[in-house]
Amino acid sequence: MSPSVPDRTLRRVLIFFAAIAAVLVAAVVVAVRNINRAERGADWVNHTHAVILEIDGVLASTHASDSALRTFLMTNDPRDQAAGREALGALGEHLSIAKALTRDEPAQLTEVLRLETLANQRIDIMQRVLAASRTDQTEAVRTLTAADATTATVSEIRRAVEKLKAEEMALLAERDTAAYLQAQTTRWTVWLGVALDGLLLIGAAWLIRDDLRARRLAAAALAEANTRLELRVRERTADLVATNEKLAAENLEQRWAHQAAEHQLRYYQNVFNALNDLVFIVTKALNVSRVNPAVVTVTRREPSALIDQPLAQFVQLAGDPTGKLDPVARALREGRELRGQMASISDAHGRPVAVRLTLFPVRDRDKVVGGVVVLEVLAFDQTSTV
Amino acid sequence: MLRVATSPAARRLCALALVGVLCVSRIDAITLAELLSDPKQTPKRFASHFEKFEYEFHAAVQPADVFLANRAGDCDDYAILADYVLKRKNFTTRLVRVSLVGRVAHDVCYVFQSKAYLDYNNRKFGSPLEGSGRRLRQIANEVADSFEANWTSASEYTYDYETDKKILALTVVKTDPPARDPDA
Repeated sequence: MSPSVPDRTLRRVLIFFAAIAAVLVAAVVVAVRNINRAERGADWVNHTHAVILEIDGVLASTHASDSALRTFLMTNDPRDQAAGREALGALGEHLSIAKALTRDEPAQLTEVLRLETLANQRIDIMQRVLAASRTDQTEAVRTLTAADATTATVSEIRRAVEKLKAEEMALLAERDTAAYLQAQTTRWTVWLGVALDGLLLIGAAWLIRDDLRARRLAAAALAEANTRLELRVRERTADLVATNEKLAAENLEQRWAHQAAEHQLRYYQNVFNALNDLVFIVTKALNVSRVNPAVVTVTRREPSALIDQPLAQFVQLAGDPTGKLDPVARALREGRELRGQMASISDAHGRPVAVRLTLFPVRDRDKVVGGVVVLEVLAFDQTSTV
Repeated sequence: MLRVATSPAARRLCALALVGVLCVSRIDAITLAELLSDPKQTPKRFASHFEKFEYEFHAAVQPADVFLANRAGDCDDYAILADYVLKRKNFTTRLVRVSLVGRVAHDVCYVFQSKAYLDYNNRKFGSPLEGSGRRLRQIANEVADSFEANWTSASEYTYDYETDKKILALTVVKTDPPARDPDA
């Protein structure tokens, strides 16, 4: 697996989680806004209940004050009078609060104001009855009470209250429906957010699972490749060991061959050195490349004074006026032997020694690369060697 | 079988003991005159006299001396008395009635100098004054929070012990925009 694959997966997972967080935040924001709206809706529902309670309170206070007045007229008990006063006080409070609660609802406010007018009429009658009662005007009290019984104030108050209540109940239903719908919206928002987050989580899980599967496959492929590589390494190692063993054997054989060759060389060297005849190994251009000890003995020259020098510098063919060993050079070029040529070799003091010259061309395959010049000494003064 | 003492001396002694027991609980009761004559009267000092008062609901407002003598009453008895006493001690106060959802309306006495209100429900707490803004809406919010309830309206009112009349002056409705409150 390439290194970029996990990075891409991580980026995708991060994108998924960012989306989950975004959905969560959005759902929370919308839900909180809905809750605030629902709270406002609940406030309106409470408000409507409060209006209903206050107008109910108006009716109840009207009845209570009426009842207390009638009882007081019968009993003349100050406690009944106090109860009536208390009921009237409550009536005023209910009306006052009802007016405040409905001040933004013109239709309801009109009804409440009408209710207030009716209540005030009622309070007026009651105060007149009480005043007559205080001054002991029994007839006046009776007249006022009788007149009060025929008026429809209480009924009107009841009808007004019922009408107001009906309107408030309609408002209550409307506001309750709004609160219900708001709650539904909140529920839907929350569930939608949860569902979206769930889907995103499933997506992220699938992505992670897919990535893990890909990683497992990659690990398996890597393990298999390692196994193959180990096998190949073992095979190569075995090959190398075999080759090494073979090379060691060959090396041993070569060493043996080399030793044999050295031995042979020393043998030929000894033979070469033991020869009494003077032997010059020359190049194709007839320059000296090697001499045997007999040459040093006869010429009294060190090998260093001979090596790389032209052979013609020391050896002259009899009857060769050029002194350049042309017949020898020609024979060497032609690759043929030259036998029994009379010649002389001069020593370090320039004294000639008579010799018989024989040339053997040296070949490397078909090509003449040099030659061996053998000088057989014919007459040599041993005394002059000291 | 229980033997009851029947001699006149024993009866007098028992009666005296009974009167003594009944009076002990009233001996430390404070009077309205004492509250009004206290030169160091403050809202906190006022509240400290009510730590051992009991809650007893009355539809009507109790006269101050009755409330103090009985050592029992409700929120409007306490708030109205606080308003009556503290006003005479040069504190600026306002009586506030908060209508709560599903509950009896609750009355408190707001003291402008203390930026707090006196609440009968807090009489047994170390700090009987509850901090609040001066506006009716702010006071209503604090009172409703203390009940963990919603409020619908809050009214400022006055009360006179002589006439036994509550007169509602201003009313704030919760659903109204705060900018349109009568005391805004």
